[in-house]
Amino acid sequence: MTLVLENLAAGYGGTTVLRGINLVVPPSSVVALLGANGAGKTTLLRVASGLLKPSAGRIHLEGRDVTGSSPHQLVRRGVCHVPEGRGVFPSLTVRENLVLQSVAGNESDAIARAVSAFPRLGERLSQLAGTMSGGEQQMLALARAYIQSPRLILLDEVSMGLAPKIVDEIFEFLAMLAQSGASLLLVEQYVTRALEVADFVYLINRGEIAFAGEPSELDAADVFKAYVGVGL
Amino acid sequence: MNEYIPYIIFGVTSGAVFGISAMGLVLTYKTSGVFNIAHGAVCAAGAYVFYSLRQQADLPWPVAAALVVCVFGPLMGIVLERLAVAFSGVPTAFKIVGTVGLLVALQSLITLIYGSTSRVFDPFLPQGEAFSVSGTKVNYEQVIILLLGFAAAGALVTFFRLSRLGTAMRGVVDDPALLDLTGDSPTRVRRYAWIIGSSFAAMSGVLFASTQAQIDVNVLTLLVVQAFGAATIARFQSLPLCIVGGIVVGLLQKLVSKEITAYPDLQGLDLATPFIVLFIGLLVIPRRKLVETGRQIRAKAVPPSRVPRPFRAAGYGTTLLVALAIPQLWFVGAHLPAYNQALTQVTLFVSLHLLVRTSGQISLCHFGFAAIGAIGLGHMQGYGMPFALAVIIGGLLCIPPALLIAIPAIRLSGLYLALATLGFGIMLAQFCYGKSYMFGFGSLATERPAGFSDDETYYYLLLGVAVASVIAVLVIERSRLGRVLRGLSDSPVALQTLGLSVNVARVIVFCISGFMAGISGALYGSLFGSVSASTFNYVNSLVILAVLAISGRRVMSAAIVAPVLLYVIPNYIGDPDMNTMLQMAFGLAAMFAAANAQGGWDVPFTRLAERSSDRLRGPAEARLRRLEAHDGPSDKAQPVHGPRVPVTR
Repeated sequence: MTLVLENLAAGYGGTTVLRGINLVVPPSSVVALLGANGAGKTTLLRVASGLLKPSAGRIHLEGRDVTGSSPHQLVRRGVCHVPEGRGVFPSLTVRENLVLQSVAGNESDAIARAVSAFPRLGERLSQLAGTMSGGEQQMLALARAYIQSPRLILLDEVSMGLAPKIVDEIFEFLAMLAQSGASLLLVEQYVTRALEVADFVYLINRGEIAFAGEPSELDAADVFKAYVGVGL
Repeated sequence: MNEYIPYIIFGVTSGAVFGISAMGLVLTYKTSGVFNIAHGAVCAAGAYVFYSLRQQADLPWPVAAALVVCVFGPLMGIVLERLAVAFSGVPTAFKIVGTVGLLVALQSLITLIYGSTSRVFDPFLPQGEAFSVSGTKVNYEQVIILLLGFAAAGALVTFFRLSRLGTAMRGVVDDPALLDLTGDSPTRVRRYAWIIGSSFAAMSGVLFASTQAQIDVNVLTLLVVQAFGAATIARFQSLPLCIVGGIVVGLLQKLVSKEITAYPDLQGLDLATPFIVLFIGLLVIPRRKLVETGRQIRAKAVPPSRVPRPFRAAGYGTTLLVALAIPQLWFVGAHLPAYNQALTQVTLFVSLHLLVRTSGQISLCHFGFAAIGAIGLGHMQGYGMPFALAVIIGGLLCIPPALLIAIPAIRLSGLYLALATLGFGIMLAQFCYGKSYMFGFGSLATERPAGFSDDETYYYLLLGVAVASVIAVLVIERSRLGRVLRGLSDSPVALQTLGLSVNVARVIVFCISGFMAGISGALYGSLFGSVSASTFNYVNSLVILAVLAISGRRVMSAAIVAPVLLYVIPNYIGDPDMNTMLQMAFGLAAMFAAANAQGGWDVPFTRLAERSSDRLRGPAEARLRRLEAHDGPSDKAQPVHGPRVPVTR
């Protein structure tokens, strides 16, 4: 699914975080979004999934203008946003989390799919999500990207704070999602790993796109500059 | 043991009603973060609609009950959900002001339609004997109510465990944004929560009226107090525990009412049971278990006045001159006592302003403090004490109860302080007013200071006190204490990093405010030579808060506008129905003001302005261009591009 952000500006209260953002996620591709802390990566994903209304600019999904749609409307159009932190309901059980993630009327099928992707969740269906380990919670949050069969998946630092072994597992899962034909917009702290899987890369610096192109065109100096703010 | 059985049966039955009411309250509070002080008023409205349908429109009771629970409740819920959204972006204090406004408006509306006296409510459930417990008969109505209570609790628990909507409701409590991302609209989920909550409220109102065999707006509005007693036991969290809490409160109430028959001093203690339960709950429940639901929003600072300083000074000077000339003005005449009343209340309003606007705390018992002040005056004068000293003692007497309420509640948060004060005000009215140490059964004699028996001379004395209290509040706002309080609304974290203790400042300001309320009550009490309990109805504590909310954001405006609105204007109107309408208008306006506390209305208004400016670029501009092509260019037909105003949230 194609996502086009056109001349987008957004912010919180009186503060503008993003300005003049033009970004395209082509169908069936992986786009990595890189940038320093506070560059506006999370804000950009929040705007793309409808959590934050842009103050200017347009959002197009498969050619349709969806600016101002609310998140649950976009979910129905095939967008899936796995938010920063642990995107689970801590006081609900794993099963109940999966029920909410699934399409109404299709719950048991969804649970079966989630368990097939992450067998570990199958052992913990009646456990409260908030009492699981960080890795397990992230698996539960990611299960959504599989069982809803979304066509555009926005992933916000899904590997943050997890053990390397689990990070491997998560990247395998992401590769599988990409192969299934969905488009991925990936915000990642593991820059090299993100660049390995990405077809396109955007560098964002202080709310503006600093670089857009293929990973091969990007050299380490650019990345360093985007993160640190000065050249090597 | 046998003599207890009737009390136990009545207690359990009424407890089930409290439980149903409390479930509705907790459900809506948890899902939306807005604690509905007007929950009891919703109960009352439900009961009155039932009364109208059944006893005035002669519908059979099952039809009336179905209409109330399945039509009135949901409609009310839909309206309340919209209100809750409007209140979701304002600090806790203004959420409470908003729902207090709703309470005042609903109560006035009911009074307007049905009058304030109670009416006979024909029981509709079968009254025949179902069975008896050691000689005490239990009728079908009691059995049905108890079963309904448990059925409602059971149905809710099943609904939350098994249904998708129920799961989503628990999800919305955890994280509304995440729920939105998983594909369920939080608004829709909250709407259903409010629908269920209001239907439960309506049902409990009907059942409560039926067990009492009468319908009285003031009694029914108090159902919220029983409900929050029950909700305390459920820690404002657990729905099934609400029904348990309700039954505990109901049982305690009836058992206390039995035990106190032998002690006239304790008469009325049973009515205060829910408040005592709340109070103990606030003391013993660990702080982490009583976290306020919903986003915590910090108050925005009041913007500097747009009126330049010299103009403001001139305005205040003119106001003072007018105030000085009032007794001589042509339109005053026989209305002078109302102006005197208003002047005594200036102190009350500025004290409440200090509390609400400056420190962001809420008191729903300021009229209770005023009553304590008036009683202090009366009793001290009874001992032959001079006027000034008696007034000050009246004020000082408010400090111990203020400390008693504030310390446990401030440990928690603004909402619990509001609940504690509401409960305290009601306990004062129901339990203490009638005792000999307060008003007693009749009224308490008071005197004006010597030489001020004439209304006009007394007017000037009261004006002096009013000006003094305005100055006192202005000084406090500019003092170290005031700076700490204003800093508190700007950034509590910054205050803590500076090493300033916030809670001590909060308690101090609560006590100052209570003291001033006591002074105002004492002055008020001195006006007419005697005071009685009816002067200090607890509802007035809510009305003054609503009036304060609509009287501007500054000390001066609160001091001038509020007393005029509440005392002078009604005195000129005279017609009681019109005054009830005025009170309803206060309630509605307070809801509007609360929703606008952070400039909430700016967003829709800016959107509207933006859309209008868009219109000039859209079809309107096209029309203009067509005109131009037809008539040739003219100066008038130049399209005007309005500036695009960015909508900020």
